[in-house]
Amino acid sequence: MTTKRRRAAAIFAAALMVFGSACTNDDDDPVATDGGNGGDSGNVGDQIEGVLEDCPEGTDTAGIDGNVIKLVSTFPQEGSLAAFAEIAKGYTAYFDMVNDEGGVEIAGESYTVEVETFNDNYNPPETVENINRAFGPDGDGAFAAFSVVGTANNIAIRDDLNDLCVPNIFASTGSPAMGNPDYPWMIGSTLPLYSTEAAAFAEYLKAEMPDATVAMLLQNGEYGDGYEESFNQAIEGTDITVVATQRYDAGLATDVSAQVTNLANSDADVFFNGATLLPCPMGMTKADELGWDALKYVSGTCASKTLIGAAEGAADGVLSASNVMDPSNTDWDSDERMKLYKETVDAWRTANSIEGADVTNGVVAYGWTLGELFVKALEASESASRSAVMASLNNLEVSAPGVLYEEITVKTGENDRFLGEAAKIARYDLARETFVPLDELYDFEGGEAIPESLITG
Amino acid sequence: MDVELFLNQVFNGIGNGVGYAAVALAIVIVFRTTGLFNFAQGEMAMLSTFVTWQLSESMPIGLALVVGAALSFVGGALVERTLIRPMEAKGNPLGTVIITIGLFISMNALIQLIWPPSKAQSNPFSMPKPFPNRGTVEIFGAHLSWFTIWFVIILLIECALLYLLLQKTKLGLSLRAVASNQESSKLVGIDVGKMLMIGWGLAAAIGAVAGVLLASRTNQFDVSMMQFILAYAFAAAALGGFDSPLGAVVAGFIVGVAEALAITYIDAVDGIPIVVPLLLIFFVLLFRPEGMFGRKVVERV
Amino acid sequence: MSATETPSTAPAPEAAIPTSRTTSGPDLAKIVIGVVIMAAAAAFPFVVDDTATVRMVSLGLIMAIGAMGLNVLTGYTGQISIGHAAFYGIGAYITANLMIEQKLTFLATLPFSVLICAVAGALVGLPALRVKGPALALVTLGLAILVPTLLHKFGSSGGVALWKPKRSHLNSPVDALTNTQWKYLVPLAALVIVYVLTRNIVHSRAGRALIAVRDQEVAATTAGINVAATKITAFAISAAYCGLAGSLSVLVRGQADASSALAYFQMSIYFLVAVVVGGTATIAGPILGGLLVQILDEKAPDWSGNKVGMAPFILGTALVVIAYFLPGGILGGYRQLKAKLTRSP
Repeated sequence: MTTKRRRAAAIFAAALMVFGSACTNDDDDPVATDGGNGGDSGNVGDQIEGVLEDCPEGTDTAGIDGNVIKLVSTFPQEGSLAAFAEIAKGYTAYFDMVNDEGGVEIAGESYTVEVETFNDNYNPPETVENINRAFGPDGDGAFAAFSVVGTANNIAIRDDLNDLCVPNIFASTGSPAMGNPDYPWMIGSTLPLYSTEAAAFAEYLKAEMPDATVAMLLQNGEYGDGYEESFNQAIEGTDITVVATQRYDAGLATDVSAQVTNLANSDADVFFNGATLLPCPMGMTKADELGWDALKYVSGTCASKTLIGAAEGAADGVLSASNVMDPSNTDWDSDERMKLYKETVDAWRTANSIEGADVTNGVVAYGWTLGELFVKALEASESASRSAVMASLNNLEVSAPGVLYEEITVKTGENDRFLGEAAKIARYDLARETFVPLDELYDFEGGEAIPESLITG
Repeated sequence: MDVELFLNQVFNGIGNGVGYAAVALAIVIVFRTTGLFNFAQGEMAMLSTFVTWQLSESMPIGLALVVGAALSFVGGALVERTLIRPMEAKGNPLGTVIITIGLFISMNALIQLIWPPSKAQSNPFSMPKPFPNRGTVEIFGAHLSWFTIWFVIILLIECALLYLLLQKTKLGLSLRAVASNQESSKLVGIDVGKMLMIGWGLAAAIGAVAGVLLASRTNQFDVSMMQFILAYAFAAAALGGFDSPLGAVVAGFIVGVAEALAITYIDAVDGIPIVVPLLLIFFVLLFRPEGMFGRKVVERV
Repeated sequence: MSATETPSTAPAPEAAIPTSRTTSGPDLAKIVIGVVIMAAAAAFPFVVDDTATVRMVSLGLIMAIGAMGLNVLTGYTGQISIGHAAFYGIGAYITANLMIEQKLTFLATLPFSVLICAVAGALVGLPALRVKGPALALVTLGLAILVPTLLHKFGSSGGVALWKPKRSHLNSPVDALTNTQWKYLVPLAALVIVYVLTRNIVHSRAGRALIAVRDQEVAATTAGINVAATKITAFAISAAYCGLAGSLSVLVRGQADASSALAYFQMSIYFLVAVVVGGTATIAGPILGGLLVQILDEKAPDWSGNKVGMAPFILGTALVVIAYFLPGGILGGYRQLKAKLTRSP
């Protein structure tokens, strides 16, 4: 019966949040109502309108060459970091499909979307370098930055892009800082926020292991802080306790054996593995080696085929939070949206830019989702300009875009610029090599699950 | 103190230290024979690792490892003959350092040109396991992984073979003679050039085995694997004394264990364990350049 | 054990000789060439409109300053370092820090950066009195990894040691110059100052002491040269140059960073390549080398169809080939050739 009560509570909580946000936010979009009068100023959201005056002159339509909208992305493309590079194959396939069908229609005119990608080795200075190079000193080298990967990487470029009024769209990180109102030209992606992940997992624990002790492996910096603060906020007032935390430095080492050994020594019931890239599977393997019999949770960024695969047997039964249907799970094969995704990626696989794309990789499916959501935002945009597209992104309401779970509606408003606010807990099934979601959807729409310090951080 | 935690961390240290020891051994063998620091030792091992990986696509990994090590032996000897010796002949020690640095950069780059990292995006380079390395042995409640046990066994076998070669064969006698004094060796009719090539070849082969084993430890490896290990290996070689193979191996384990314990018990190195080998290098070179086991060298004018 | 021996032979004795020969008297042709090169260098950002190209050359000038610094140590004094970019990093951080925390203008940070790096260089020079040859290389390698590691641990916000002064604070303060031109002319001016300074040092008594220490350390001692002081001075000067280069990099790149522990090591190697390729123990060689290295590093991927590793492969191979076949580098080789041609009737 606990399940039933829990669900009722969650629905109530969700309702409360929606209601609460409806009361506090005046987001009954004025944009949509006076959209018809065609003037520039009336078409943009207040935030964008306010800062538009400070923008370099004549750059609002920069980066559109004829009918081609040029986007720029930078992310790691080499070696063990390349797991994240698969994202681009997903949205590229979607754009290829749309371009092939005649393009996106914005205000009666058809546009095609092109993405130029750069390698930054996941190294923020190189991200800055790439962005500087691509956009030039006046920010007119392309229309927008798109799906730049990494929290620190996006934070490194946000000042420049914001100063130049260059949209930084769908920053591929779960950091709530991407919704910081001080940076109206930046918006995060559908990736579940760290706070969403941590809160969803906390909700799960409350129901299943209400007095769990938790040991956390965290990456140094905003990323690790995000998990830690959100999780601590989510377990406030419960009997769940964090008994050990260990940090590792992403740029300097991949060996986390010593850290995991220290965590295992706490004998906690739960191993919250907040590592990403190779340290994540290594953490799982080490925990197993040490005979640490804990319930394992891995970061959503680790739930990719490449990384989970690297942990082999140690990944069995691992939990993670996710909002996309895992394409390696054949249960979804009958889903229409999943079919479209797989068929399209298959069809475009031979195209150079997505060569070798693996349709069953969840990271590709996430990229696909971003592609669809962006095209939807373009279609809803009043004109093909940076300010109008940004305004459109700040007023999204799209139900089940891409291959997100069908219960999920991605919603943004002027005061809620977060896309990844709902997630399910999923369990890795080693035999089937796939994540199988549990039934419950944890929806934190409205931003309450996000510690304030993480947004402005 | 928690014994189980302590032991577990010591085992972690041994697990890492065995890699440092193996690379340090290669560095020391080169130093003994040619009096040089081969800064490219790690990247030579990396190249051997990729070659072995390529071989393993068409033959069993055990065979690939043997063939890879043999090829590395030849490669190492060739590097000595074609690049190092002519530079040495010019009597320019700075020049040879520059050559090994150049090799460091170009070998790493060459690997990326032959095996593009972009290919690893959806199919990471994955080394077949030469021995079953999952699972652990429990000792006083702590866990020692099979990977570590196997790697230590293989390193010990290498050491034993090396000992037999150096101490019990005529070739070994010549190698030792060249290591202690090249000019006198020449006078008694030893083919010094051949001995130098053999020294570099041995080092390259030992590096190759280390590289392959390290690559097989995790399910994927990439071209940067050796870069950090090199700093640790040099620390081990310095600590052990640059001309003592036994010292290098022992020091490799010491460095590994010191690092693991430092992470556990010293908060200041949290997240930056690499300062451990670096500080070791500084202190040893400054205050005891001959290391723990090395011979004191008198400067000649 | 040759590793602990003193370096007995100069890396490029033949390169040093013509240098001293040319100082015997003012050479009209040389002055004309110098003026033309200067004028062309100054006119470059006004003639070339492409921001990316100007920026690339600007970074090349900065690389040249760093290489000139390493040349004072390695070329003239015979002390090898494969970690000199550590000072480049320190300089960059000092500038970024002073701009962000103390609100200094960019130019006002330069004296601090140069001075602090000189002191840091002198401190690092102390071990060099005991540690020689390849072992010194190892110590400097450690330094190149240690500095970014410590910055990462103690100088970072949010786990990333990346300091960015406000973009507008790096803009041109001179109305007549665009930002791109300003960010080129400042490094150029710095390079000219460093060039003149190096020339004066090399041709002074102190400069001869450096070379004496390199060629015959023991003999230099008997000749009354304070070897310790000379080595430490060389370390201080070279570190100051590299620190200046680091500071200038903040102007052009907009950031000081140390997020990869090996980034400074690679930069150090590039300094070394610039010195060896351009011409060890020549004043202008590292300038040529620095520009070549930077241009190659940026352009090689374009020329090779974006092949990863092409630039380092070319640079590493060039290092080996030049060290072996052309120990005086491009400039040394050119002077040898010229000397041969003028000598023959």
